[in-house]
Amino acid sequence: MRINSASIQNWILPVAALAAWEILGRAGLLPRYLSTPSAILAALWEIALTGELFVALAASLYRVSVGFALGTAAGIVVGLGAGILPGVRHFFDPLVSFLYSIPKVTFLPIFLLLFGLGHASKIAIIAFSGFFPVFVASRHAVLSVDKLLLWAARNMGAPSRTIFFRVVIPAAAPQLFGGIRIGLAHAFVVLFAAELIGSKVGLGTIISYGEEWVRFDLMFAGIVCFAVLGFLSDRMLLAIRSRLLKGQMIGTEEEIVR
Amino acid sequence: MTAQTFAQARSLIGRWYSIPLLILVWQLTVASGLVESRLLPSPGRVWTALATEVGNGTLIYHASVTVSRALAGFLLAAFVGIPFAAAMGRSVLVRNLFEPIFFIGYPIPKIALFPVFTYIFGIGTPSKIAFTFLECLYPIVVTCYFGFRGVQTRLIWSAQNCGASRSVILRRVILPATMPSIFSGLRVALPVAIIVVVITEMIGDSIGLGYYITIWSTRFTFANVYAAIIVIGICGLALDQALLLLRHSAIYWQREEA
Repeated sequence: MRINSASIQNWILPVAALAAWEILGRAGLLPRYLSTPSAILAALWEIALTGELFVALAASLYRVSVGFALGTAAGIVVGLGAGILPGVRHFFDPLVSFLYSIPKVTFLPIFLLLFGLGHASKIAIIAFSGFFPVFVASRHAVLSVDKLLLWAARNMGAPSRTIFFRVVIPAAAPQLFGGIRIGLAHAFVVLFAAELIGSKVGLGTIISYGEEWVRFDLMFAGIVCFAVLGFLSDRMLLAIRSRLLKGQMIGTEEEIVR
Repeated sequence: MTAQTFAQARSLIGRWYSIPLLILVWQLTVASGLVESRLLPSPGRVWTALATEVGNGTLIYHASVTVSRALAGFLLAAFVGIPFAAAMGRSVLVRNLFEPIFFIGYPIPKIALFPVFTYIFGIGTPSKIAFTFLECLYPIVVTCYFGFRGVQTRLIWSAQNCGASRSVILRRVILPATMPSIFSGLRVALPVAIIVVVITEMIGDSIGLGYYITIWSTRFTFANVYAAIIVIGICGLALDQALLLLRHSAIYWQREEA
């Protein structure tokens, strides 16, 4: 990154906020529940040494990745199906439009009872809430594929399989990724709620443990890990997308927000 | 005439058959005893629970709490976020200062910060509103920011050329040109507000629909839980429709399907 006035201005507020936090905290001017950044780092180091951090990280990562993968896969398959076949569309549209406005977390108590406090209930609720944005995006993406492209392909005698893989999928992909990105954000929100409300292991559990035992540095350590995990997975998704959609995102808002 | 009504009825059935079908399958599953009837009460029992709890005002009270919190946080975010996005869009200094906060913070799961909010604002309504404000601020600012940046310069030039003052340009040129992005930002933020309020109520509160769901699931009375879920869905749908109506009258020159 070139150093110019713009990039310096970019750093002013975050650095100033962190410095003020640390200095005010050391001076004892902040309430006790706001641990200083250095104390948070120390707590992170502490749970990293005991290995607690990695157990929690592994549990949370496992839940969110399996749940997200299942929900996304189901959303893509059913959504593409609904976009292509009117029969599938007519079956799913009323159901989805009814369930879409309901926050999927509200089903959490039911999922906890059905699948227990272990991994299964978190995976199920994450998959469930990730399904909807991906379904809506892929259904809409297929329906909004330019008809001229389809006609042109058909006119040149392409079989429907080729049309699907070489015309529909590439044309629908940018919108599809938009839906997947929303699904990923939902996955982390649901993961947090599920781990805070009913779980024995995970990053959310570290946070609630810190709260209960008045270890605010530990609570913040959990929060920092959770935030970093969410941020990095979004970046990973964007990296995959720019790999797959080389050139398709140029100039769009989504390309800039990253 | 009759043929036409017949065809209309057929297409209506073809489009909406899946909801009655789902209720039928639900009823049959419960009747067959495959699922514990306490976990999945029959549609009739959910309907009875819904009717009694709405009738005696309990659900309406909790729904009004949840909706007013969601709306308060949402409106606050809109009133702060839209001028802020305008400042970011029109001033280079403000943009450079705040861009990293909004663009890097955008994919971070902010829900992890909720425990900190409960320490600062207490467990009740203020922490929920403050947190909803934060969660809604991001989509509103980011979407509106692109709207303000995307205003075509030649529109402003021609207005200046006609001798319009700065305030007239803002009111008559910039604001109408950004209206569509403002509304799309609001439309992303509104469901977020409801989701966040319900989750935070589930984590800890003594009023609101999230609390209602948690308390009745610990009492194993799932008919009430499903009734509350239905109420949340209806609230979300109603708020979204209200926003669309507002959009319709504010942006009368542009029609966009939902």
